Amino acid sequence: MSTDMPSAATTHTRSYGRQQRSLAGSVLLHGGLLLATAVSLFPVVWLVLTSLKPRDGWLSSELEIFNQPSLTNYARVLGDTQFLVWLLNSVLAAGLTMALGVFVAATTGYAISRFRFPGHRGVMWLLLVTQMFPVAILIVPLYNLMAGLGLLNRIPGLVAAYLTVAVPFCAWMMKSYFDTIPREIDQAGLVDGLTPFGTFWRVVLPLARPSLAVTAFYCFMTAWGEVAYATVFMSQEEKRTLGVGLQQFVGQHWSDWGLLTASAVLIAIPAAVVFLLVQRHLVAGLTSGATKM
Amino acid sequence: MATTTGRASRTARDGAAGAEDSRGHRGSRPGPVRRLLSQHWYAWAMTAPVVIVVGVLVGWPLVRGVYLSLTDATEATVGRTIGVNVIPARYKFVGLENYVDILTSSLFWGRLAWTALWTVVCVGLHYGIGLGLAMMLHRRLRFRSAYRVLLILPWAIPGFVAAFIWRYLFNSDYGVINAMLKAAGLGAVGWLDDPTTAKLAVIAVNVWVGVPFMMVALLGGLQSIPAELYEAAEVDGASPWQRFRHITLPGLRSVSSTVVLLGTIWTFNMFPVIFLITRGGPGTSTEILVTYAFREAFTGVRNYSGSAAWGVIILLLLVAMAVVYRRALRKQGEVW
Amino acid sequence: MRRAISAVTVVAALALAASACGSGDDGGTSAANEKSAAPADPTQISGEITWWDTTRPDSEGPTFQKLIKEFEAKYPKIQVKYVNVPSDQAQGQFQTAAQAGTGAPDIIRSEVAWTPQFAALGYLQPLDGTRAVDNESDYLPGPLSSTKYEGKTYAVPQVTDTLALLYNKKLLKKAGYEEAPKTFDELKKVALDVKAKTGVNGLTLNVDSYFLLPFMYGEGGDLLDLQSKKIVVNTPANVKALGEVADLISSGAAPKPALQDSYANAMTALKDGKTAMIYNGPWALSEVYQGKEFQDRSNLGIAPVPAGSVKAGAPTGGWNYAVYAGSKNLDASYEFLRFMSSASSLATVSGELGLLPARASSFDDPKVKENQDVAVFKPILDTAVPRPWIPEGGQLFQPLLEGYQALLDGTKPEDALKQVDEKYHGIMKDWS
Repeated sequence: MSTDMPSAATTHTRSYGRQQRSLAGSVLLHGGLLLATAVSLFPVVWLVLTSLKPRDGWLSSELEIFNQPSLTNYARVLGDTQFLVWLLNSVLAAGLTMALGVFVAATTGYAISRFRFPGHRGVMWLLLVTQMFPVAILIVPLYNLMAGLGLLNRIPGLVAAYLTVAVPFCAWMMKSYFDTIPREIDQAGLVDGLTPFGTFWRVVLPLARPSLAVTAFYCFMTAWGEVAYATVFMSQEEKRTLGVGLQQFVGQHWSDWGLLTASAVLIAIPAAVVFLLVQRHLVAGLTSGATKM
Repeated sequence: MATTTGRASRTARDGAAGAEDSRGHRGSRPGPVRRLLSQHWYAWAMTAPVVIVVGVLVGWPLVRGVYLSLTDATEATVGRTIGVNVIPARYKFVGLENYVDILTSSLFWGRLAWTALWTVVCVGLHYGIGLGLAMMLHRRLRFRSAYRVLLILPWAIPGFVAAFIWRYLFNSDYGVINAMLKAAGLGAVGWLDDPTTAKLAVIAVNVWVGVPFMMVALLGGLQSIPAELYEAAEVDGASPWQRFRHITLPGLRSVSSTVVLLGTIWTFNMFPVIFLITRGGPGTSTEILVTYAFREAFTGVRNYSGSAAWGVIILLLLVAMAVVYRRALRKQGEVW
Repeated sequence: MRRAISAVTVVAALALAASACGSGDDGGTSAANEKSAAPADPTQISGEITWWDTTRPDSEGPTFQKLIKEFEAKYPKIQVKYVNVPSDQAQGQFQTAAQAGTGAPDIIRSEVAWTPQFAALGYLQPLDGTRAVDNESDYLPGPLSSTKYEGKTYAVPQVTDTLALLYNKKLLKKAGYEEAPKTFDELKKVALDVKAKTGVNGLTLNVDSYFLLPFMYGEGGDLLDLQSKKIVVNTPANVKALGEVADLISSGAAPKPALQDSYANAMTALKDGKTAMIYNGPWALSEVYQGKEFQDRSNLGIAPVPAGSVKAGAPTGGWNYAVYAGSKNLDASYEFLRFMSSASSLATVSGELGLLPARASSFDDPKVKENQDVAVFKPILDTAVPRPWIPEGGQLFQPLLEGYQALLDGTKPEDALKQVDEKYHGIMKDWS
């Protein structure tokens, strides 16, 4: 169970032992968790099942779990649509957002955690207010700004927009985590002759790995699942991301849920992989604010 | 860099009194600006990328939005030149008229009431269910890791995909929820066709989407509470409820205050769930402030001034809420 | 040589025509004219143009892609970039891109109601006297009128459409009917009999404003009175119409329709034999024939919409080709419009897809004559009610949809229409 408790503060935590629990308690506990798991899994399972049905199989008023299962929908997605182009664009956008987002969030988080500088409160409020700003309202002015900067239909423009969404929260999270790392460690680095940047880069950052993982995950997911900005900024067909491309499959007046469900499964897979890679850090990284004590 | 240098000069002026007596030694000691720069340049350098990107991409539209909200600009009255078509600007300054119009409309208050209900119910359920699951997962039990991975899975599904799946599940004729109801001998329900059930449906989806985050965050909080506290309480004969009330909840306060605030902001602005599942319908019954503002801004001839006023009002509401919340927390001795 | 001469003569003739009718312009059209007159041989025009198409990418897209290939073969120096934008997003995306001045396509397939709105906002290039407009008198008057705004031409028509009653012949026969119902009363009776004798639903409604109009027109109602600039949505005729819709549902002739995915659910019900009748247009036919009930195509009946107490009337819809005013390749765009809206191109589209061409002569083309569906729809089209082509036209449907939804949630017809009326007055401030 050591992977569950990566932070030093939690190793003394005591979980209630299995032996102490009555049978009824066990049944209740597992029953509750099984029910919750069923609810959380059901839509995903149904998505996978639907994707295996024939083209119009989703439109059936009977309750059927399997209906001539086949991979036809997947073949159509990969063969007849631009799915792979969209995938590449999405991977690029999400990857860049992740790389830049982690770096920027870490430096900002470190600065507001360690230094009391003029503008400190201003930056804190900026991060909070930015999170509050409704994306829907920003689209048109942001489109005009991007047009002025020549960033329409370009992945860097999209990444910049995603950073404004992801970084405020991530910087906040990184700050909380840095707060839990004793300042003595920084001072030791300075005594050894490192610059503040050197201390940050060589000493503190390696200690913040769990939080970096969560930040990476969050940035990736933000970019991976975003639709609104991508829809208006990336109008050229070969620049579309998955979120934009997929909307072609379900319009108001016609829809091909076979294509939609198959591609949704294909999209969820990379997200789930990234997720599995970082999930053991999630608990520690997200909530470091609480480990201050 | 504009922000940081601006702040630097302001602080420099504040420190002018201190600089007074050191004027004679200027040659040997650096001036206040330079002193500040040398002292803080790395902090500024580290925050500069975020400040610049956010300042340009959010700040500029925001400033422009505030300006537009004080005019009667629409897509038809803003001046532009497109090819041979030259359209002169015809909009004018109208003061607070847009704000007065919105704040005196019954529509705004109706939407605000539903948005408040939506936010409170969703965050309440997120927190309650998240805490319940976190406490179960915190116990030592078989398959704990498996449960945890499966319970977090909804988080790995992109929001728009989740919205599409649920819209399909809720379909009144072909959705699996109604198919199961019929199989159980109950009648089908037009989930998204009636204001009340549509509201229940979007809340259910948002709960499904949002619980994993709360669960993971609170699980981390639980793991950080020292076990000695529980042991001591048990020795003192405290009941499970007393232990929950006096150890667990206070121990979670710090993480709770953060996630509840974030959850509130996210839910308040939860665009995709409502927009993709009900489009705000039936009628405008499930429209929250953000989706309504979007509708104002994007249907027909775009009303730039009106939608900007909606945006500013929404932002002010959130800022006011954050300030009040922060004050309340500070009274209890929390700082963030 | 002959071709070059004829091109020059055509251009000269057009220039004359333009200067005759463009006297009120501020020089915009004549400037465009000089440019379009520049290349003597239009097939030598070069450039890259982008076209936003809004058709179904799987069933309709290939036909248009094929036409683009033909165009590029005829104009070897023009490259066409084909972009498919879903029809429910194209309007918003075009507006966003057009107002910013970048990212907009050169050509857009514009819905008839969007065209005057885009034109009023200054996004479209006036086409009077350019090579885009060819043999204007051949266009059907309804579609043609949708391309005009304040006396100028801003688009060329592509296809037109209207609504009809689509029905499952087998199911109606089982209920004892050889023919489709002709009036609202018959519609209700047939639907109830189908329900009683076959167990499946008689009629499935699609909750959408466009699909409500046949009921309003049937009772002599309308949304606007263009002549007197009056909003006439809240009238006894419309109240009666909405009352009839509500009665269809409360009497059991039609099940309570889904509000979300209403269109898809109604279509699926028809395709799977779960309902006997729906209202829909020619664009739906290719999808209907994919359904298991219509593997034998002759099982699908297409009839004019049933009449109310006044008349049988269905709305006119359709699509145009329009050129973005900020296009860098106006000449190439004009040629594209000329090619795509030619009688032969429209005949290809209609013959293959069953859409109704906007040119009278296309109906005589053998390709179109072979298509049974076009033949069936043609007479229905002749009785279709024109809609007012005003810039606000595109904004009228959302309030009406909300009124329709309110009606189904139990609001009384007069109250639902009152809400719609109030919203219309908010949109069109100078109407009475």
